[in-house]
Amino acid sequence: MFEYRPGDSPVHLLNPVTKLAVAVGLTVVVFLLPNPWGPALIAVALLGVAAVARFPGRVAKLAAVITVPFLVSVVIVQGLFYTSNETPFIEMGPVTFWEEGLAYGLLIFFRVLVVVCAVLILVFSTYPKTMMVAFIDKGLSPKLAYVFLASLQFIPEMQRRAQAIIEAQQARGLDLKANLWRRFQALLAMMIPLLTGALISVETRSLALEARGFSRGGLRNHLIEVPDTTTDRVIRWSMAAIVVLVALWRIVL
Amino acid sequence: MSLIEIEDLTFCYASQPNEPALRNLSCSIEQGSFVGITGLAEAGKSSFCRLIAGYIPHFFHGEFSGRVSVAGTDTRETTIGELAGRVGFVFENPFDQLTGASLTVLEEAAFALENMGLAREEIRQRAEKSLSQVGMEDLTDRHPQQLSGGQSQRLALASVLAVQPEVFILDEPTSQLDPLGVEEVFDVISDMHRRGYTVTVVSQDLDHLAVHADRLIIIDKGEIGWDGEPREILLDAAEARHPVLIPDVLEISRNLRAARRIPSNSPVPLTVEQAAKELSSMDTPGSAAQTIAAGKTSRHLSGSKLESNKELVFEDVHYDYPTGVSAIRGVSLSLDEGCICIVGQNGAGKTTFAKHLNGLLRPTRGRVLVRGKDTREYRVAELAREVGLAFQNPDDQLFRSTVEEEVRFGPDNMGAGTEEAKRLVASAMDLMGLDAVREKKPHDLGVSERKRVATASVIAMNTPVVVLDEPTGGQDAEGIDLLGHLVDHLVQQGKLVIVVTHDVKFAARHADRVIALHQGRVLLDDGPRKVFGQEEALARTHVEPPAATQLGKLLGLDETLRTPEELLAVLAPE
Repeated sequence: MFEYRPGDSPVHLLNPVTKLAVAVGLTVVVFLLPNPWGPALIAVALLGVAAVARFPGRVAKLAAVITVPFLVSVVIVQGLFYTSNETPFIEMGPVTFWEEGLAYGLLIFFRVLVVVCAVLILVFSTYPKTMMVAFIDKGLSPKLAYVFLASLQFIPEMQRRAQAIIEAQQARGLDLKANLWRRFQALLAMMIPLLTGALISVETRSLALEARGFSRGGLRNHLIEVPDTTTDRVIRWSMAAIVVLVALWRIVL
Repeated sequence: MSLIEIEDLTFCYASQPNEPALRNLSCSIEQGSFVGITGLAEAGKSSFCRLIAGYIPHFFHGEFSGRVSVAGTDTRETTIGELAGRVGFVFENPFDQLTGASLTVLEEAAFALENMGLAREEIRQRAEKSLSQVGMEDLTDRHPQQLSGGQSQRLALASVLAVQPEVFILDEPTSQLDPLGVEEVFDVISDMHRRGYTVTVVSQDLDHLAVHADRLIIIDKGEIGWDGEPREILLDAAEARHPVLIPDVLEISRNLRAARRIPSNSPVPLTVEQAAKELSSMDTPGSAAQTIAAGKTSRHLSGSKLESNKELVFEDVHYDYPTGVSAIRGVSLSLDEGCICIVGQNGAGKTTFAKHLNGLLRPTRGRVLVRGKDTREYRVAELAREVGLAFQNPDDQLFRSTVEEEVRFGPDNMGAGTEEAKRLVASAMDLMGLDAVREKKPHDLGVSERKRVATASVIAMNTPVVVLDEPTGGQDAEGIDLLGHLVDHLVQQGKLVIVVTHDVKFAARHADRVIALHQGRVLLDDGPRKVFGQEEALARTHVEPPAATQLGKLLGLDETLRTPEELLAVLAPE
C-alpha cells in the first residue's frame, strides 16, 4: 500500500533529500499560516505534483482514507466547542455550529492534509534504497540506513513467522479460544518461538553481514548513483527562503 | 604447503565447556579440491566449517588449542572480515544469510562490493558476473523475497562469489530445499569447482555429495573418522557399520561384491547409470514377481483393523489463497489406513493439502470430513484431537524449558490426566530416541534433534491420525531409521499415518499408498509399486523413483521394486 511506485517523472528524479526538505519545509509553513486558505492551496498544489509524478489518484485516495475521518471529527468538535466561537453559522435546535470553530477545524484539517500528501509523494516517488544512499551521502551512518531498510522487510517476515507459529501450535492442540489462563499460555507459546527465532536469525545474519565486510571502515560506494543537481539545490534553497519569509511575516504581523 | 592447515585442534564451546566439539583434529585441504564432509548430527561438521572461516574463535568463543591456517595466515591473528576475502561461507538457511535490506537480487549480490568501496561500474560488473555464474542473470530485478528456496540459496552463493574468495564453505546448503533446488545448487557448486575454486561442502545428501566430491571426510564425535576417496570411504564406513546415508546404488553393489556376484576389482558405481552398466553384464537375474510374492517386506493391512472407517474424506476440494493462487483444484479421495505418502514438487499443493487435514485451512469449495466432522464447523483445537500434525520447522513451535516438558505440550492441550500424559510422553520420547536428552533445553539441541522433539510432542497427543510434514529433511541416518520405525509402529497400532515428503526412498520403504500431487490435482494414487513404476508420469511433478526402482526397470525386471533389499533378493538369491 505504502510502496514505491516506479517511474521517471521529474518528481522521481529529484534527490530524496530535496523531497524530504520540501516536505519538512511545507509542514513548517502550513503550521505558521493563520487561515485555511493557504494550506488548502498548498494541498491542491501537491495534488498537482502528484499528477506530474503520475500517481494523483493513489495520493488522493490514500490521503482521503487517512484524513477524512479526521476532518469530520475535528470540524464537529471545533465547530461546537472552539473557545473563540462567537458568530453562529448554523443553528439546529439547541445545537449551534460556529463559524470561527469551523474555520479553525478546516485549518487543522488542511495542515494535516498537506503533511500527509507531502509524505505520500515522498514515499511513492522514492526508491527506499535511493533514499538511504542519498542520506548516507549526506552523512547518515550506513548502519542506521541498514536498520531502516531491513525493518521494511522485517515486519512482513515477522508476520509470516507468527502465522507459521500459530499454525504449528494449533496443530499441537493449542486452543486459542479458551479461558484466560489458557490464553495466557497461548501467548507464551506464540511469543517465545517468535523471539528465539528472531534472535537466532539475527545472530546468523550478523555473521553473514560481518563476512560481507559490513563493519569494515573506510570508503564505501553504492551500486545506485543518486545525483544532487543544481535543480535540487535551487529547490532546497527556495524552500528555506519561503520558510524564513513566512516566519518573518508571521512575527512582524 | 596446503591452502588450509588444521593442526591438532581441540575446541570446546563456552556454552558446553566439558564436551569438546572437535578433538585433536588434524587435516589439510589442497587448493582446488572438492571436499565433502558428512557424519551424524552433532558430530562436529559445522564446527569444522566455522573453524576454517575463523567464526571459531572470533564469533563462537570457547577453549581453543591447536592451530588453523588459511593460505599461511593463522586464523587467530586475523578477523572474520579479513578472512572473508579468502573464505566464503554459505549457510544452511539462505533467508538468514541474505541482508534483508535489498530490494533486488542485483543489490543483494552487490552488497559486499559496496562495503569494499569499489568503483560503481566495477560493483555492477562483478555483481552481474557472479549472478550469471549461478544462472540468475535473468532475475536481477526480482525481489529477493520472491525467490524459490533453490534460487535464494543460489543468490546467497552469488553474493559470496562476488567477493571472489578462494575457498567456499557450504554448511548443509541443500537440506531445506526440494529435489529441484538440490540439483540446482549442486550443479552450481560443481561448476565452481571446475573453475578452480576450493570447495568444502557439508551434507547428509551422499547421493549427490559422493558423486561430485573428490575427497570425503566422515566426522565422528569431533574427530576425523574416515578420510579419502568417496567410494572407498563409504565402503569402509559401511563395513564398520557406521551409520551414514550410503547411496543405494553403492550399497547394492557392495552386497553383490560380498556375494561374489560381481568381481570386487571393478570400480564401485555411484550413479544409477553406472550401476546399470555394471549390473547389465551379470547373468540373467531371477524373477522380481516371485521374489516379491515370497517377500516378507510388505505389510498386510486389510483385516488389521476391526473396521475400516473412512478417517479423512476429501469431496471435490478446491482451495484458492486470498492472493488468488489456486493451490488445490478439485481433489476427491478418502484416506483410510496404513501409511500414505504425499509426493510432488514444491508448489504442487502438498502443504496446502496437509493443512486441510486438521482444519488449518478450509476448502474454498467442496468439503473435508475428519472422521465424519466437517472441518468448516470445528475449531482446529477440536480437530487436533483427531489429527496431530507435525510441521517441518521445529523453531516455529518449541518454547518450553525441557524436552520432556515440551513433549508434554500436546497431551496437556488434549487434557490428558497426569498418569496418562506421563505414559504418552515416555513412549513418544522413546520412539524418537530422546530419552538421553529429556532434561535438556530444546534450544540447546541440534536441529535434527529439535525436529524430533516437535514430532514427539505430536505423537504424544495419541491421535488416531498423524500427519508428518517432511519429517526426514536434514535428518542423519539414525534419525531416518527412527522415523521409519515410528511410522511402522504407528501403523501397527492401527493409526492412519500421512507423510508429506520429498524423500522417495522413505516413501518406497514405508508407504502402503502413494499420492503424487501435481498443480493442485491428484496425478497418481496407488500402491508404491504402481506409482513409482510410472517414471514418465512422475517426472511431470519432478519426482524421481528411488534408485532401486530405477535399476530394476533398467534391468528389465518383470515387476517394480521398491528397496535395495528387494533388488538384492532378485540379483543374489541366497
